[in-house]
Amino acid sequence: MNRTVRKLFSNASSLVGIVLLFIFIIIALFAPIIAPPLSDNPYQVPRMSWDVNPQPPGFPISDDIREVYDFMGTEIKYDKAICGTAEGGYDIFYGLIWGTRTAFKIGLITVTVAGFIGVFIGSISAYFGGWIDEGLMRITDIFLSFPFLVAAMVLTTILGRGLDKVMIALIVFGWMGYARLIRGSILSAKEETYVMAAKALGVKDIKIIWKHLLPNTIFPVMVQGTMSIGSMVITAAALSFLGVGAPVGYADWGQMVSFARNWIIGAPGHAGQYWYTVLYPGIFIVLFVLAWNLIGDTLRDILDPRLRGEL
Amino acid sequence: MIINNKEPLLEVIDLKTYFFTEEGVVKAVDGVDFEVYQGETLGIVGESGCGKSVTAFSIMRLLDYPGKTVGGKIVFKGYNLLEKSDDEMRKVRGKDIAMIFQEPMTALNPVLTVGFQISEALMMHFKIGKKEAINKSVELLKKVEIPMPEERANEYPHQLSGGMRQRAMIAMAMSCDPVLLIADEPTTALDVTIQAQILDLMRTLLREFNGSLIMITHDLGVIAEIADRIAIMYAGKIVEYANKRTIFYSPLHPYTFGLLTSIPRLDLEMKRLNVIPGVVPNPLHFPEGCKFNPRCSFVTDRCKEEEPQLIEVEEGHLVRCWNIDKVAQEVKKGLLVGV
Amino acid sequence: MLAYIIRRFLLLPIIILGVTFLIFCVFSLLSPMERLATYIHDPSTLKNPQSVERLINKYHLDDPFPLGYINWLKRIVRLDLGWSQTANQSVWDAICQRFPATLELVLYSIIPVILVGIWLGVISAVHHNDMLDQTIRVTAIIGWSLPTFVFGLLVLFIFYGILDWLPPGRLSSWAQDIVYASSNFHSYTHLITIDALLNGNISIFLDALRHLIAPIITLSYISWAFLLRITRSSMLDTLRKDYVRTARSKGVDEHTVIHLHAKRNALIPVITVAGMMIIGMLGGVMITETIFTYPGLGFWAATAAQQLDSGSVISFALLFATLMIVGNLIVDISYALIDPRVRLE
Repeated sequence: MNRTVRKLFSNASSLVGIVLLFIFIIIALFAPIIAPPLSDNPYQVPRMSWDVNPQPPGFPISDDIREVYDFMGTEIKYDKAICGTAEGGYDIFYGLIWGTRTAFKIGLITVTVAGFIGVFIGSISAYFGGWIDEGLMRITDIFLSFPFLVAAMVLTTILGRGLDKVMIALIVFGWMGYARLIRGSILSAKEETYVMAAKALGVKDIKIIWKHLLPNTIFPVMVQGTMSIGSMVITAAALSFLGVGAPVGYADWGQMVSFARNWIIGAPGHAGQYWYTVLYPGIFIVLFVLAWNLIGDTLRDILDPRLRGEL
Repeated sequence: MIINNKEPLLEVIDLKTYFFTEEGVVKAVDGVDFEVYQGETLGIVGESGCGKSVTAFSIMRLLDYPGKTVGGKIVFKGYNLLEKSDDEMRKVRGKDIAMIFQEPMTALNPVLTVGFQISEALMMHFKIGKKEAINKSVELLKKVEIPMPEERANEYPHQLSGGMRQRAMIAMAMSCDPVLLIADEPTTALDVTIQAQILDLMRTLLREFNGSLIMITHDLGVIAEIADRIAIMYAGKIVEYANKRTIFYSPLHPYTFGLLTSIPRLDLEMKRLNVIPGVVPNPLHFPEGCKFNPRCSFVTDRCKEEEPQLIEVEEGHLVRCWNIDKVAQEVKKGLLVGV
Repeated sequence: MLAYIIRRFLLLPIIILGVTFLIFCVFSLLSPMERLATYIHDPSTLKNPQSVERLINKYHLDDPFPLGYINWLKRIVRLDLGWSQTANQSVWDAICQRFPATLELVLYSIIPVILVGIWLGVISAVHHNDMLDQTIRVTAIIGWSLPTFVFGLLVLFIFYGILDWLPPGRLSSWAQDIVYASSNFHSYTHLITIDALLNGNISIFLDALRHLIAPIITLSYISWAFLLRITRSSMLDTLRKDYVRTARSKGVDEHTVIHLHAKRNALIPVITVAGMMIIGMLGGVMITETIFTYPGLGFWAATAAQQLDSGSVISFALLFATLMIVGNLIVDISYALIDPRVRLE
């Protein structure tokens, strides 16, 4: 374990990943200070104007909005859209800062839950073998028959919008990789002497899986988990982009990008005037995903030097 | 069986092959000299990592990155192989000098048929058609005593047994009637009974085409069966070089002595098997002086300071040791009482 | 080989049945009323309680689950997939009409990647050097971290917004007039680039191509990074193998060593990745087509999802799942074809 940590810190690319991740953690932790919420629900991005057109960076809060807050007695803690506003006057900067929390929430929760489900199914399948294995693996195949984004889109269309629905969709179609991975490792570990010995001693099945097999096979699953946090966040953002993800106005990077969709070309004669609507959210998503991928890539090298260079 | 009045077929002079790794330069082969005459078998013996395989790959010029031959000469039929162009070298490989590898499973290409792999060299070097080449490879398979050669030629390596694969490998190496065959641990991966068959086959074929063989192995049993002369290698250098009888009955290097007393023998009464203490030194950090000194039971202060030269103690017997006299006494005693 | 393929074909109906079952489970989360909405043409029918009840009975929407599944399956087999409000035509017609556009996009994305990507991967492995190694590694990770929708918007921003080179859509309006309205233009394949060539109309061909370039780049940039890297590392791995050395020891020339002895083996792991790549592209089709308003299946499905047209979305998922299953089958069979160890098992 020590060796792993040392390698993570001595490798240039994973070091970049760690620094990036650290910055994002800081942003997520201090979100209420960096971008103080203006309403009870901090994940609701405040609007800086009622105008549908995006407004450039430095745009001051419009008078009619200021009036509303004054009327409600809310103190306006900042009055400039540092990164501009998206379509409908939504403040991009606020969305980015609180969107960091959304990204962590999506990434960590979906990967953890999907990982647990996958490990559960995979280890049962591998340990008992026979018909249980055959049945569970065919079910896994069926779930794997859908392109991930398409499957998640179907489920969110049926369930309706909302971050919780997005996460459910990502989990329902996100556990299969872990199941296959852990099944493979357990199948090979099962033949090891220490498992044979435990079996011969009459140790209970559950205990063998829990005490002997999982600790020796879980590391690849964890690496896989790290690697897929990025793709989970991308898929959630893609759902928002397609208009079936987080509700309108929710602090979510995917939605910030989707706000840019209609404006990206710019007004006639002013090509590219709304560059900020895609650039800032784009940078946040890319860096966040990159951070996890860099760390995951190094972890995999450490895990299996033979895999070096394969994605 | 040294034929003094004859020019050697292959002469390796002061060969130096280094590996330029990230951790430093590994001197895998560091100044090796030997020669091979027509029709004879030279055995190169040593533990793994002593540089014996690297010597073979240097002769074939098949070193992988980051290995490089940095000095010396490899004179074959009067020409220095190291000075040949890549194209000229390609014409030597397979045609004049062929090679047999240790692990026939990995040395044969899994996606090509055995017949194709044998016929390839034939088509390459003799510019013959595919059909003729295939026919010839079936003949070769028959020659190496593979049953049903016609069917085998169409099969893939994984369909053959281990011994069968090595036979196919031999057929492949013999396909263009090479004058020199280099066999790198050809029997190590095989069962003992199959080992004997393969050795028999190699001996028969060698006699037939009067070719020379360099047999590389860590197994003195194999060497005892097949070699005429033997070079013992340790840490990239030859430590003893003599004919088979001398090596087995009057070795003068402590390492050779150690190797000999570590194998069970039927012709001598032995109380127990000897073990050479310690391990092969890390090639990045060879010891000062004689490289064998940390493991040697005859070690003196001089051994730790100064590296001995390979000196000719008698006609055709070269040893690299400061304490030849002591060893000679011990050998006499050891062999008499059986250690 | 035969046993292997037979097993794969026997599993095929089981997997497809499982896929339909899974979709039906998801579909059943909707109330009978909502499901009814996927079959009727005129939304106002839903306002009349009597006709709703009659229609629910007609389509067996309140049957118990197993019976409902069987009825639904029967309709699927008859290709009666319901009515797409989004496209204002039956779902099957909507699919048939949009399929060629998506096919054209996917084909043009996959074929160059596989042909050129593998070639580049092999080349870069043979001319092994550290700089290139690092560049490819970093490019692949960055490409992997750059979501399609961000990349696509950037492409649109630069090549259409600023440079005005690569417009969105599938054809310019003048070309549309010719392709869809003119009697001189015959649609043989419905792949416009190919039809244009068959009709001998170069300007239409160029126009279609101009509209295709940006979506192709967006859809395939990840695959390029991915395939190049895998081919390269697999090739590097293979070039170090004993049998490559054996081939050289026989005096085989370098070209044969690389393209016969090494490449055949190096391609075996690449096949898996190519399969994964095609799957990834199927997912990316929705986003790419949405960004470039390219009138294919993905654009339609994304619009349908936004408008909660669940019948269309479900049929789209069913279609793509089927494509994926077929794709996986092809991958598995090509595995067997290239690797005798699998073929002769």
